[in-house]
Amino acid sequence: MIAALAFYAFAFVLVASAVMVVTARNPVHSVLFLILAFFNASALFLLIGAEFLAMILVIVYVGAVAVLFLFVVMMLDIDFARLREGFQRYAPVGAVIGGILFLELVLVLAGWRFTDMAADLRLAPNPVGAVSNTAALGRVLYTDYVFLFQAAGLILLVAMIGAIVLTHRERVGTRRQVIADQVGRTGSVVLQNVAIGAGVSPGSILRPPPKDAPKAVEHHDTHGGHH
Amino acid sequence: MNWTLALPEILLAVSGLVILLACVIPKQDTSYGGSMAVIGSLLGAAVLVMMQDEGTAFSGQYIADPFGRFMKLLCLAGAAATLLLAIDFNEREKLARFEFPLLALFATTGMMVMISANDLMAVYIGLELLSLPLYVIAAFNRDSGRSAEAGLKYFVLGALASGLLLYGTTLVYGFAGSTNFDKLAEAFGPGQSVSAGVVVGLVFVIAGMAFKASAVPFHMWTPDVYEGAPTPVTAFFAAAPKVAAIALLVRVLTGPFADLSDQWQQVLLLISAASMLLGSFAAIGQRNIKRLMAYSSIGHVGYALMGLAVDTDVGVRGVLVYMAIYLVMNIGTFAVLVSMRRQGKSVELIDDLAGLGKTHPGTAMWMAVFMFSMAGVPPLAGFFGKLYVFLAAMQAGYLWLALIGVGTSVIGGYYYLRIIKVMYFDSTEQPLDAATPGVGLVMAGSGLFNVLFILWPAPLIGAAQLAVAALVG
Amino acid sequence: MFVGAIFFPLLGAFISGFFGRLLGDKVAQWTTVLCMVLAAVCGVSAFMQVAMGGHPETIVLLRWMDVGGLQVNWALRYDTLSVVMVAMVTFISTLIHLYSVGYMSHDHTIPRFFAYLSLFTFMMLMLVTADNLAQLFFGWEGVGLASYLLIGYWYEKDSANKAAMKAFIVNRVGDLFFMLGLALTFLTFGSIEFPVIFAAVAQHTNDTYLGINSIELIGVLLFLGACGKSAQLGLHTWLPDAMEGPTPVSALIHAATMVTAGVFLMARMSPIMEYAPTALMIVTVVGASTALFAATIGCVQNDIKRIIAYSTCSQLGYMFFAIGVGAYQVAIFHLFTHAFFKALLFLGAGSVIHAMSDEQDIRKMGGIWTKIPVTYLVMWIGNLALAGIPLFAGYYSKDAILEAAFAAHSGVGTYAFVCGIIAAFLTAFYSWRLLFLTFHGKPRADHHTMEHVHESPAVMLVPLLLLSVGAVLTGYVFAPYFIGELEHDFWHGAIFNGAHNHIMHAMHEVPEWVALAPTVVGVAGIALAFVFYMLAPALPRALANGLRPIYLFLLNKWYFDELYDFLFVRPAMWLARVFWKVGDAKLIDGMPNGAAALAADVGRGAVRLQTGRVANYAFVMLIGVVIFVSLFLYSLFKGA
Repeated sequence: MIAALAFYAFAFVLVASAVMVVTARNPVHSVLFLILAFFNASALFLLIGAEFLAMILVIVYVGAVAVLFLFVVMMLDIDFARLREGFQRYAPVGAVIGGILFLELVLVLAGWRFTDMAADLRLAPNPVGAVSNTAALGRVLYTDYVFLFQAAGLILLVAMIGAIVLTHRERVGTRRQVIADQVGRTGSVVLQNVAIGAGVSPGSILRPPPKDAPKAVEHHDTHGGHH
Repeated sequence: MNWTLALPEILLAVSGLVILLACVIPKQDTSYGGSMAVIGSLLGAAVLVMMQDEGTAFSGQYIADPFGRFMKLLCLAGAAATLLLAIDFNEREKLARFEFPLLALFATTGMMVMISANDLMAVYIGLELLSLPLYVIAAFNRDSGRSAEAGLKYFVLGALASGLLLYGTTLVYGFAGSTNFDKLAEAFGPGQSVSAGVVVGLVFVIAGMAFKASAVPFHMWTPDVYEGAPTPVTAFFAAAPKVAAIALLVRVLTGPFADLSDQWQQVLLLISAASMLLGSFAAIGQRNIKRLMAYSSIGHVGYALMGLAVDTDVGVRGVLVYMAIYLVMNIGTFAVLVSMRRQGKSVELIDDLAGLGKTHPGTAMWMAVFMFSMAGVPPLAGFFGKLYVFLAAMQAGYLWLALIGVGTSVIGGYYYLRIIKVMYFDSTEQPLDAATPGVGLVMAGSGLFNVLFILWPAPLIGAAQLAVAALVG
Repeated sequence: MFVGAIFFPLLGAFISGFFGRLLGDKVAQWTTVLCMVLAAVCGVSAFMQVAMGGHPETIVLLRWMDVGGLQVNWALRYDTLSVVMVAMVTFISTLIHLYSVGYMSHDHTIPRFFAYLSLFTFMMLMLVTADNLAQLFFGWEGVGLASYLLIGYWYEKDSANKAAMKAFIVNRVGDLFFMLGLALTFLTFGSIEFPVIFAAVAQHTNDTYLGINSIELIGVLLFLGACGKSAQLGLHTWLPDAMEGPTPVSALIHAATMVTAGVFLMARMSPIMEYAPTALMIVTVVGASTALFAATIGCVQNDIKRIIAYSTCSQLGYMFFAIGVGAYQVAIFHLFTHAFFKALLFLGAGSVIHAMSDEQDIRKMGGIWTKIPVTYLVMWIGNLALAGIPLFAGYYSKDAILEAAFAAHSGVGTYAFVCGIIAAFLTAFYSWRLLFLTFHGKPRADHHTMEHVHESPAVMLVPLLLLSVGAVLTGYVFAPYFIGELEHDFWHGAIFNGAHNHIMHAMHEVPEWVALAPTVVGVAGIALAFVFYMLAPALPRALANGLRPIYLFLLNKWYFDELYDFLFVRPAMWLARVFWKVGDAKLIDGMPNGAAALAADVGRGAVRLQTGRVANYAFVMLIGVVIFVSLFLYSLFKGA
């Protein structure tokens, strides 16, 4: 009973905040609603006994992705009002199409029925009771689904390579520490015989010869980093 | 667990990682070595594919059969050939970075996973592994606004398509209780009632796959991306991923959903007819040859899907033959496009080909062969591709579809012939530069295939027959 | 060995054609010659094994196509009929290659020439060893293509280009009928493989197509196809013009091999032809008419090669009416012997032309027999064989043909016999007219040319001598096998004679005078030529003046070219002009640019969808999904 109540509460907030993500005028608000939606979704996961997924959702989506979105939205100067112009123009047609699709899906989902074991499964998702949710996931991931798991790993690798390819640039004029050069440099420290008692006058400290390389300061490049 | 079945994929993945490390560490430019290593591993994978046993692995998520072998070999060959075309172009355009071949390698791995998928999850993972590198290489020329735009458009629409596919998968899973193809086939087998949810899910799945094949109405990305992306990338797009996408459509529709053919058939008929019509009509006014090729590829996908839409063994065989021939024609054509440059600068308008017949008779001759073949003029290979699908359509009683096919071929002939006309009858003051030997080799190879196909089509037809037999059972 | 005979020429063509520039003229040409020699060795040994040893074989090379019910292989069919052709073609082609080394020595693109020559040989071999009509058609078209290339070899010459075009187009007319015949064969028998067809002919004798007996129709269509290649009356116009090509080409294509393809086709299809009596009658009439018609023209021509070309045409007529009366073996025998002496005559003529500094008009020759004695000798041998003088090759085959025609005892057979006898007389006449005008009498060429008259080099003479041996001996040696008592074992069923067809026996039992007649008229013809051109040289001129209309009629080749020009070419040009003026200018431009504009409009509409906005694209995709879902649900609920 309580579980059902909680489900409907979370589900309602989830759907409502999802609607707000799309309709909110201020993009910052949109992202904040998105975070709310994630939280509610994770609560739903908890309700069906998938605590690992619930945590992952919070940590990955809320902690990393959504916050990153927020930064991007706040830092980039995007005129969202202008982007919405098209939305206004196509809204009627879009509404018709969306409405039809919605009706059709309702029609389809009307034919939905749960299997007999559904209720039991919801209470005890793991076939073998002794294993925790996380361990059970790990087991299937590394046995039955190792192929897909590894392939998914490849996808992430590709995403990383892609990000680097598209955004990483070798900038001219940046200076990096090259330890080998530092160690191998000669002629900068010189042992000199100074007349005893003469002392060293201020301003006569020996320095390495000045390099004539210009110390160009490159402006921060914002190309290609907006997604 | 017989993981050795997946050796070709494993080889590609592992060599991808090795090449990545080997190319990242050295300070100097490693793009050439990278390309060669990637081509090498593609060929290695091809050898492994040929030696592959048959059967399923990984709890039934992976299947190796003659159909997969046929399609994988096509994909590997297509990927290797287009990479070969890219080397010189990238160097000239200052795009030579080892990540390009590497991403292509991972994309090819994705194609292989797709083709061997025996589970809707594997379909999705394979599709993503294919798509993600493609988004990146579409935007590979990041200093060009057009290239970046192409990448972004492709990414956004691709994400939508993936979403559709995933949504369809969940619907199918929810209503049928499994994602495994064999179990799905059982669930939809004779005597089983099929709920509307599965059918709607199937529509979404088809939409997701048709996007990759750029079939109407999921084609919208194609012209913009083809035009915007660097030419070798376009060549890559037009070759192997198309074959893989069609292979996936064939695999999914004739496999688990074979008994739902009454439902999906009409969708496919519509898609096929619409693709043929749009491909031929929209191409007429194009001036950019890459854009033209985009519409041409949409049309070709329409022809190929005709074979699938009529849902007969002969039709499916026609699809395989068509894709094989399409692949070769396309690689040849893009070999010509890649070599189009004037005083070292790449050009891509149809008018830039003017006078090619006089300045570079060899290149012009091959280009004419490819254009005639694409138009389906006998006795070139392209004619036979069309012949097989048209015959299949007529045998299955879809005369109207075959007639649309013939009609659109005639219209299509117009713009292919226009290119020939420009090459031979228009003159120019500024001739194009000559093609490099490597590109010339690819040109001559695919050109000879097109010309000589008529003499010995049996191996290809036989292999396709074998593949279809494995598929239909 | 079997494969080698066919593919060595292809190898030669390939090497010379693609690497000719790399290898240099000398290496390229000798490579092709070497390949041809190897092919000839293979061909002759195949002949020994298959024809003499009696071991026919079929070698399947590759599965070619498999479309619906149509299954076709690349296969080499080696039975006596094809092996005779293979041996003959490879042997003669080898000699011609050798001859060309000398004849073409001043040419600039030697590898190209040899590549074409070898390619042509390969195509011809493909044709004769075909095991199905599709492969035969491949060779058929290939031969047509190669002949086009060879006739137009000197493409700088306008006339050569025109002749090549003419040959190609006239051949295409024949090919059209061939294709129709092929299609009808497939329709009737459900196969185009020879073994299947031949086995099934008897069951299909009563099939009809469009109210006509199918077998008859196939026979007629294939014969019309053969007419194109073999230059029979009506489709013969290309052959004389084709002499624009280099002389070895004339010898190879227009004497020994290509033109015989039609005869070969008829013999190959003998199981079908045997069931098509009406078709055979047509063959007889056309063949006999051609034999006579071409001979009459040959009498007044002045170009040395054209005379021989018309004589070829006439001899092909003989072969066709032999087939028409059911004596396929005799036709093939004549084809075989004819190949030798006709190649000899052409190459001899080439040698004369070579000696006369490229002069081809016999009115400007004369009195050179002492200067080129070897050529003179071989021309004599060739002419003797052609005229059917006893002991020479032509005697055995031509006599047999005339006997067969007589023995047919039918109306058309008699017509053929009469035509044949008259043609034999004319043949002897124009042959010696050529001989006397060319070699005897006062020199009519200018002083400069006469000074340069010289015998050809050895590389040209050796093939001539070898061929003249053939022209003397082939008849005597092979007559027993081809048409004599050993005939049955030799052919081994490669040629089919129907149960009612006893011509092969009947021809040996004709009255004595029939057997003698050809010889008599031949000698008479020679005598007449002697009178006209040696004793009383004024007589022909007087005769030509007296019978001027007839003379002009013959000189202008019965006005066939003019007739065709009037009947086909001009109407076609007129039609083209009408299409251009009315169709193009009015319909296409006038009818808002017709379908093209419509298509372009639709195209513009389709392109307008391509706005470049991602949102629109996504929207289109979604609309597509919605439409498909609706479609699905509609059909689902309609079905439920």
